[in-house]
Amino acid sequence: MSSGGRGSDGDRETESGGSGGSSDADRGRGGDWRNRGRQTLAWLVNASAVQRIAISLTALAFAVLVGGALVFASGFVASCRQPVIYIPLLGESCYNPVEVYWTMLEGSFGSLPNLARTLQETTLLLFTGLSVAVAFRAGLFNVGTQGQMVLGALATGLALVPLGSVLPDSVVGMLVAVPIGLVAGAVVGGFWGFIPGAMKSYADANEVITTIMLNFVATGIAFYLVSEHLGDPGTGSVQTVPVPSVARLPPTVDGSRFSVLALVGALLVAVGIFWLYDRTILGYELRTSGLQESAAEYSGVDAKRNVVTSMTLSGALGGIAGAIYVMMVHYRWQTGMPSLGFDGIAVSVLAGNNPIGVIPAALLFGGLKSGSFAVDFALGVPGELVVVLRGLIILFVAMPEFFRMIGTYYDFGDQPETAAADGGERQ
Amino acid sequence: MSDADTRSLPRIVRNHRNAFGLVLAILAALTIVVTVVPGGREVVADVSGVITASYLASAFRLAVPIAFAALGGIFSEKAGVINIGLEGLLIIGAFTAIVTLHFLPETTAIWVVWTAFGLAVLASAVVALLFAVVCIEFKADQVIAGLAVWLIALGFAPFASIIVWENVNSPSFVTFSSVSIPVLSELPSIGRLFVATPPVFMLVVAVPLSWYVLNRTTFGKWIEASGEDPKTLDTAGVSVRKVRYAGVVLSGVLCGIGGAGLALNVGQFVGSGETMVDGRGWIGLTAYLIGNYNPIGAFLASFLFAGLDALQIQLQQIAGYDVSSTLIGIIPYVAVVIVLAFVGRTRMPSEAGEHYESDE
Repeated sequence: MSSGGRGSDGDRETESGGSGGSSDADRGRGGDWRNRGRQTLAWLVNASAVQRIAISLTALAFAVLVGGALVFASGFVASCRQPVIYIPLLGESCYNPVEVYWTMLEGSFGSLPNLARTLQETTLLLFTGLSVAVAFRAGLFNVGTQGQMVLGALATGLALVPLGSVLPDSVVGMLVAVPIGLVAGAVVGGFWGFIPGAMKSYADANEVITTIMLNFVATGIAFYLVSEHLGDPGTGSVQTVPVPSVARLPPTVDGSRFSVLALVGALLVAVGIFWLYDRTILGYELRTSGLQESAAEYSGVDAKRNVVTSMTLSGALGGIAGAIYVMMVHYRWQTGMPSLGFDGIAVSVLAGNNPIGVIPAALLFGGLKSGSFAVDFALGVPGELVVVLRGLIILFVAMPEFFRMIGTYYDFGDQPETAAADGGERQ
Repeated sequence: MSDADTRSLPRIVRNHRNAFGLVLAILAALTIVVTVVPGGREVVADVSGVITASYLASAFRLAVPIAFAALGGIFSEKAGVINIGLEGLLIIGAFTAIVTLHFLPETTAIWVVWTAFGLAVLASAVVALLFAVVCIEFKADQVIAGLAVWLIALGFAPFASIIVWENVNSPSFVTFSSVSIPVLSELPSIGRLFVATPPVFMLVVAVPLSWYVLNRTTFGKWIEASGEDPKTLDTAGVSVRKVRYAGVVLSGVLCGIGGAGLALNVGQFVGSGETMVDGRGWIGLTAYLIGNYNPIGAFLASFLFAGLDALQIQLQQIAGYDVSSTLIGIIPYVAVVIVLAFVGRTRMPSEAGEHYESDE
């Protein structure tokens, strides 16, 4: 089903996500990066729930398989006291992939402290995953959640410090401090999402490129500000003064840095976003504005403004992730923040960009990240394994044809990309 | 900016909108520094003081990974496959070069370094080939798959470093020594420019060669057609698939040279943070967007960014400036954002990012 491109208006190329079967003459001239987002993962959004889950699980399984092969192979290079296996000609391998994944599972869910660490990661990943998903729902690929999170965290870290001397160190004080921290993170993160959104709408600048670049700018600006002007003068590291205890979310499990309050808040946000996008007119308009600008404009919607709104909302969620990181985990901004923003891409992609799907995806990814500590500690397998898995998951989910081949082979239902609904441009 | 708006501009400005915009932006920034920032005048005086032949030589050296990545991106995208995994390919190249040195006997024999160099190029080309398979056979979304290439490399290189060296950073190895071009390197004052490591000379050759291949050869015309009008290319009996494979693998080869050049110039692999590549692939991508897919323009943009980097290093050494280092580091990223937003759009190959299926 490739109906050919819709007519182009002016110098703007309309979406043409199909394959070469469509008529080239119908395509707009002068394509540029800006239209990429519209077809990005559209096939996933349009797949049915069962297909989506099947796709995600298959992608995950393949990523785990490839990761296991990598671990096994690297075991031949690594040096250790007790090799687990000997293969003639190849030598001894230090790592047993099954043991590695089992340790990972135990290390993420096996005990209360481990579970707390997993849920701590999950909470943060819910926000970054939702940040990416919100943009994806509107056909925008926000690679900039990382930068939005870094600047949001810095804003929260700075805004909370003076509150220590003003607010009583009590629940009442916390009821004031935590919202201030969240708003500071959301506003600055939102602003950092607003920039690429406005540039996309009003200057035709592709958001993939601008958000990637703005990540580097955000890290640079934050580093500069803290190292030169706003840092903690008492230390040699590039970090801010710790936030007062009134602004720290109380740990739910002793010895951990996990607050169930934050997790509940994150879950409510996920449900709220699902409701906003699937049950309200505003959500419908936000989605169509990114996916089908001309159609949205035709029905009297300000599509450009809605694209800006989507990116701002996405950035605000990234900023809130940073705020929670400061208030729940690290109690200060420090350079070298974990790459939760990029993890958010994997979470969202794994969730089929569905806000409710983000919940299990974040839990799974939180488990992987948390379990990687145990794997590193107990078996000596570098925790960077999870970073590799993250990339592999994104890669596998991005291959529709791969799943169609698997789907045809096992005959589970329709091919995902035949379900295209965004103007029928998918083949 | 629509075509009508720019029609009044002189033709040379119109054709090189991005470059002119960049120059204007830099001039504006300079003006602000000189007039507004306290002590700005002294900074500019110091800056002009450090621009010497040895400064230019180090700018050339720093341009190697950026410019090779940019050239690679041009070949791939012109052929119709957007390759935003350039950063990942540089990381693969850099890591492979150093890990090869680790497993080879430690001698100063020249073959050791060249083997490392060759394997790095091979590794990067193989990863690019896999990326091509994913994009062409499995019809992956090119932007997401490219991002995945970067993220996988970003995880794999430190992972493997820890496996091999029990540290994300490698120890130092004996590496390329500088080569001097006879006679020219003897010249007063500019002689320093003709003493460099082999990757620098390769870059000097690769830039005009890429331009020539793209603009003056049949293969270049195929690449162009594969990205602009694959149907016609197909009708003419040339396999679009093969041309696209060639474009992507070529980008892997070029990134391999860039990554190996980067690591072998230092003699060490650094895997901490964003690895030693540290955004150079992304800067390469910005360079070819600013250079509007022209190898010469992409090189000039790369050289400009590398020059800024070199400037920052020199200023720290000579004048003791410290503040500027981070801010100078983000200039390329800010520059590309400004260029994309205010100056003009780059003219992307019209079918780049689209899958092509032959009708046979």
